Amino acid sequence: MNRRLYLIGALVLLAFAGFSLASFRDTLTPYVSYQEARDANRMVQVAGALQKGSSAYEMANGSLLFTLRDPKTQDLVRVRYHGLRPANFEDAISIVAIGRYDPRAKEFAANKLLVKCPSKYQGTEVEKTYS
Amino acid sequence: MHLYLPGALALWCALAFALSCLWGYSMVLRGDATGLVFARRAYVFYASSVGLAAVLLVLLLTQRDFRIDYVYHYSGLDLPMHYQFAAFWAGQQGSFMIWLVWGSLLGLLLQRTAGKSEPAVMGVYLLTLLGLVFILVRQSPFAMRLDAPLDGQGLNPLLQDDWMVIHPPIMFIGFALSAIPFSFAMASLWTRRFDGWAARAFPWALGGFLVLGTAILMGGYWAYKTLGWGGYWGWDPVENASFIPFLFGTVLIHGLHLERTRGRYRRANYVLATLMFMSVLYGTFLTRSGVLADFSVHSFVDLGLAGWLVGILGTFLLLAAYLLATRLRQVPTRANEDPVLSRGTFMVLATITLLVATLVILAGTSAPLLTRFMKSPGQVGPSFYNRVNLPIALLVAWLLALVPYLTWRGETWRAIARKLLWPGVLALALTAGAALWQVHNPLHLLFAFLAALALASNLQKTWEKARAGGLAGAGGYLAHVGVGVILLGILASSGYDRSAKVTLVQGVPQQVGDTTLTFVRFIPSRGREKEAMEVEVARRGERFKVYPKMFVNRRTRQLMVNPDIRNFALMDLYVSPLEYDPGQPFLELAQGETGAIGETRVRFVRFDLQAEGNAMVAMAAGRTVTVGAVLEVTQNGKTAGLRPLYRLNPADGRVDTPPLPLPDGGAVRISGINASSGKVRLDLGGVANPAHLALDVTTKPLISMVWGGLYVVLAGGILATINRVRQARQLDSLGKLT
Repeated sequence: MNRRLYLIGALVLLAFAGFSLASFRDTLTPYVSYQEARDANRMVQVAGALQKGSSAYEMANGSLLFTLRDPKTQDLVRVRYHGLRPANFEDAISIVAIGRYDPRAKEFAANKLLVKCPSKYQGTEVEKTYS
Repeated sequence: MHLYLPGALALWCALAFALSCLWGYSMVLRGDATGLVFARRAYVFYASSVGLAAVLLVLLLTQRDFRIDYVYHYSGLDLPMHYQFAAFWAGQQGSFMIWLVWGSLLGLLLQRTAGKSEPAVMGVYLLTLLGLVFILVRQSPFAMRLDAPLDGQGLNPLLQDDWMVIHPPIMFIGFALSAIPFSFAMASLWTRRFDGWAARAFPWALGGFLVLGTAILMGGYWAYKTLGWGGYWGWDPVENASFIPFLFGTVLIHGLHLERTRGRYRRANYVLATLMFMSVLYGTFLTRSGVLADFSVHSFVDLGLAGWLVGILGTFLLLAAYLLATRLRQVPTRANEDPVLSRGTFMVLATITLLVATLVILAGTSAPLLTRFMKSPGQVGPSFYNRVNLPIALLVAWLLALVPYLTWRGETWRAIARKLLWPGVLALALTAGAALWQVHNPLHLLFAFLAALALASNLQKTWEKARAGGLAGAGGYLAHVGVGVILLGILASSGYDRSAKVTLVQGVPQQVGDTTLTFVRFIPSRGREKEAMEVEVARRGERFKVYPKMFVNRRTRQLMVNPDIRNFALMDLYVSPLEYDPGQPFLELAQGETGAIGETRVRFVRFDLQAEGNAMVAMAAGRTVTVGAVLEVTQNGKTAGLRPLYRLNPADGRVDTPPLPLPDGGAVRISGINASSGKVRLDLGGVANPAHLALDVTTKPLISMVWGGLYVVLAGGILATINRVRQARQLDSLGKLT
């Protein structure tokens, strides 16, 4: 009796492990270059510097538009974000946008932004960036 | 590096005293009892040195001594006094410092209550504290600048919030507490005294669970109230870094309960205590080493501590792995097993389920590290956690529902079914209610049913226990009632929230669902009060105003946003500003003057003091004063005479200024009267270039159940802690604890 229960338990655990792994792979948003983001038809994240003066808020449809520049390749991508503008958006030295590229609008539609600021949490200007 | 000498000395003294204390305890462990007095004294000296260092840092902050680099970075001349405390733990060094302060204070209590196990437990515990002392000696908060700035950089405005003043220090009490069950476990393995530790460690584990839970509650509330994200939980790595130890702690307290009552889990508890402490260290590493810098909204950047953190984590991992590998097999276990349908088996199932959930969350949080070696590192978002935790929540709710009615001896399904009759009826009624409301997803209905069942069955059991006079022993059931409440709150507030983004034109009402919103005016900053938006809300016959804030922090030039939340019994209305365009918002006119906005020309003819009775008489009598303004408005060739009113209730200072429609669209209202200059200020809504306010308006049903449920869980935890402290004391006084 008990051995059978252990077996069921093990199977349930195994099934759940498989389910978790599949969810992990489905929801993983890899860091990619802008070009890869344009080609990938999935959720990804891109990072870059905010192009000065490129941000505008469209009142009509409530979305924030801005351009990110890849510091290495100088590649540019237009990003549209629906939602609250992060508190320190304009000062950001690096912005990470998570979302997917919309080939028709030729924009990266972000549903989450991470903003890295020179003075956030740590006053030092020697911010490390991992890319 | 240049250091502030008294502070640096205090830290060095702490290091020296901690090492001597360790030496004293090791003497005792080698059989020389004279070491005990020495060790105890050394500990008091050690703790005093830490205290001194902390007091010095507080003094430096309150004196705003900007020569100190830490003070310069986190404080400023204009920072109010109570936030100077928040500045203490705003940065890396200071937050390690507060952690060390709590750890050292708890050590004083631990020393006095550990009984016979004191030397070994304090030995391990001191090692955990030494890790922090090393970090602080390496990254001193007392580093001095070469220059002497006149003002500091100020505190991150997001942290200038009362919840943020107390959330981090409480979190660090929790972190400090998590080292204590670990110390008991390691000491027990080290000395091969396998029996007494569970009873002694139990209250500490419960304390850690309680404090971490409280800190998480506060952090969630802060995020909800201040940040305007619209939620209380974002599955961000930093949030998870505190949630994972909390979950391991939850599993540990259940494991300890099983060991104390049934003699089960005797080996597993060593592993669980280790996991709880290791997860604190691991979370610290994740959030402070910079590895998550691109993945988290709020992780610290690397200050060159990454290597140290890995070293400390590795040291304890090796120590624990060595002791577990060599000694765990010597721990005696109970041979006989519980019947299948018994409380023991179900508790084991529940702990395994929770453990699996914790490991999955741990894996998700570690995604940036795990995927680092792949082509492109990535992370998983909230959808991952929500998806994998749904089946777990269902299973946990089901187990929680059954456990109160299972006995240790075993039960039959029939007996359980009979006992679950009334809770089942109640849960079914609630589920039917949910279905009638708007829950149609079958999985959500099942979720609601099981959560309600867990709530009802545990509530019944708590009630039974309380009536029988055993409330002290009902802590666990009470906590489970809270879990049921939380689960229902999460389902309703996260699964059935309604969010809309609206752009309001000043003065023009706009309908969103069953709510009508009007952007009344922008309120400029006054003193400490920040700029706010006044928005009038009409909803189901109720009228009220909300004041979401949006302002630019003067020092950092950051645009700050604070939502305004209106709490109702069954839901919260959450209004968060997205963007504000001032337009040309108003006209200020003296009598006889004409002003124009776009095509709309307004002539202010005169005040009307007889609009609703004589205004002067009303003022003298203390009644509501009504003043009208006689206007001539010309719009696209159409001219109309308008008489908007301004009502002031002197009793409560409330002002009512109903808008009047303009001849060709838009509305006019009096937004202010300046009696001395005889000017009237008119808001013209909907004309030419009015101000716009974009808002996110969200209704969150039953979100108060999330907070309320957490309070119930904590109340249950407090009861259980009191109970276990009492038991450990009794056993100790009877000499039953080794």
